[in-house]
Amino acid sequence: MHAIRRQSGFFARIFPFLLLAPALIFIFFVQLYPGLYTFYLSTRDTEGAVSKYIGFKNYDLVFNSAIFKESVVHTLIFLVGYVSLTLIAGLLVALVLNRKLRWSGLYITLIFIPWVLSDVIVGYIWKLYADPGSGLLSPFFALPILGLNGDPLLIASPPESYFEGIPFPPAPAMYYVIFAAAWKALPFTTLLLLAALQTVPKEVTESARIDGANHRQLFFNITLPLILPTLLVTLFNLTLGGMNGVGMIFSLTGGGPGSATEVLSYLLYSIGFGQLNFGRAAALSVVIFAVNLTLIILSLRISRSRAELI
Amino acid sequence: MTLSKGNLFANLAAILVCFIMIFPVFSTIVLSFKQQADVSHEPPLLFPCNTETEDFNLTACRFFVEGYERIISPKEDPDTLFGYKIDGRIINTYLPNTVFYTISTALLVTMFAGLAGYVFSRYDFPGKHLIMIGILAITGIPLLTNLLALFQLVVDARKFSAPFYEAWQASDTFSEDTITSMRNWQDRILLVMIYVGFFLPFSVWIVKSFFDAIPLELEEAAYIDGASPYQALTQIITPLAMPGLVASFLLTFVGVWNEFIANYLIVGSSKPALRGAIVGVYDLTGNNLINYQVLAAACVLVMLPVVLVFLFTRRTFFNAMTEGAVKG
Repeated sequence: MHAIRRQSGFFARIFPFLLLAPALIFIFFVQLYPGLYTFYLSTRDTEGAVSKYIGFKNYDLVFNSAIFKESVVHTLIFLVGYVSLTLIAGLLVALVLNRKLRWSGLYITLIFIPWVLSDVIVGYIWKLYADPGSGLLSPFFALPILGLNGDPLLIASPPESYFEGIPFPPAPAMYYVIFAAAWKALPFTTLLLLAALQTVPKEVTESARIDGANHRQLFFNITLPLILPTLLVTLFNLTLGGMNGVGMIFSLTGGGPGSATEVLSYLLYSIGFGQLNFGRAAALSVVIFAVNLTLIILSLRISRSRAELI
Repeated sequence: MTLSKGNLFANLAAILVCFIMIFPVFSTIVLSFKQQADVSHEPPLLFPCNTETEDFNLTACRFFVEGYERIISPKEDPDTLFGYKIDGRIINTYLPNTVFYTISTALLVTMFAGLAGYVFSRYDFPGKHLIMIGILAITGIPLLTNLLALFQLVVDARKFSAPFYEAWQASDTFSEDTITSMRNWQDRILLVMIYVGFFLPFSVWIVKSFFDAIPLELEEAAYIDGASPYQALTQIITPLAMPGLVASFLLTFVGVWNEFIANYLIVGSSKPALRGAIVGVYDLTGNNLINYQVLAAACVLVMLPVVLVFLFTRRTFFNAMTEGAVKG
């Protein structure tokens, strides 16, 4: 932390606030004010020509709609699949790259390319792969062992659900969305975990090895606890990103087949901008926002290094 | 380093991962150079190089630029510089829009984040910690939940400015074309301002961590030599913080280039003239009759600039992201 510098004169005193002002003004108008306005909107019936106050009825309507419950389950399935797949794959790749291979720089550069692509483009790349007939993966999806019975992957309907009213197990398209999203998120996860692995002191692992620890003990007792904070922060980042990313659903499945890949963020779009019901969409926004905020607060608590920095 | 058995295995694993990450991009590029007959060939072909007797024969490869031609759609026009004009909306409207959104947002974000990051790194004042934690928390808030309100703000701004445009039109101060273009520029600028507010918090943190790494003594020496705070900032600190500012610029660049949902919902769905390139590609699939080589060509054209920017500046990316995430 740096020392406070005291200077006399009115200009010198307001100087820092002048520098800060543009950033704070923009953040206020794009982040804070819209947040408050969305809350205001969520308490109003916007379907008439003039909106009127209806209390928390919009929340009632959202919570009690069948599509909301279905979307929550879709979102949970997506998040569990996407976050665990990305974290495990990212950790494995980071462990490989941490061996200081001669071409590590080249590998990480190549691996990183999907990260700079747009969600929408990534969705198209994988959609083209799954196209029945011309898609390069279509012969694979036609294999009898996958049980699609000749249906195209993105159109095959979900299997009969185990529990009444809960869309589980998901449609085949959901697995594909999870895979495509993990493909795009893998680079960033790998980079963060690699950076964390490189902060594990060599002396610690060396001395443990001399004491006779094997690879598995070394990983679970030394490396994993040391990178756990980064792992958790990454987990929260992935959950946040996964919950709010919608571009890939747009281009890859459009929420289909039926509504089988309709996650909460896509539902928000379809209520707000498809049905043009702003009040109800605002209520859903507030719900998503509240979940986001909880995740952020948890992430800030866990990441103690960030707190120390402040 | 000797190539031990373990390293050989690690290299093979790394090459496999690289393959999985690169191959989809590569095959999309190949697809964009196919002709329709090879695109719809069954079973699917990776390379359009098969003959009746062989699966792959380099001399038989059939590559075409039909997909790109359909996206660019050049038309002969003797009035223009090269004798052709470009009719494809992705090239003549959407990509220029994206370039405008991207460059202007990245410049503004970098400037404002630079100023704010400097203050957070060097000054102390009541409420500073609260503001900083607030900004850090906001980095996790997506554009998505604010979209409805931002949409409403843009609609309100249009309503507010409408009487001025109508008055100008009624009094013939400007031609109708000029007024249409003024309305479009108003929306473009509003979208850029939305992007600035959205990408600022993350950049503030990135830039602050770079400022923190610059020793305070350098500044103090400048003050002793009689520099004002303004001179210290512009002549001593800014050059040293350049890597952080470049990182902020590049991360914002990639973020805005790839942004879809705000561009689509706030301005793009009602006004095609305001769409960026990503929305333009999404627009292509509005009718399901799109040929795959054309879609692939559009994807390649839109992702190429940002991939090139990344390849040339990858070190800055890696530094900034690990700096922000692990240490910060």
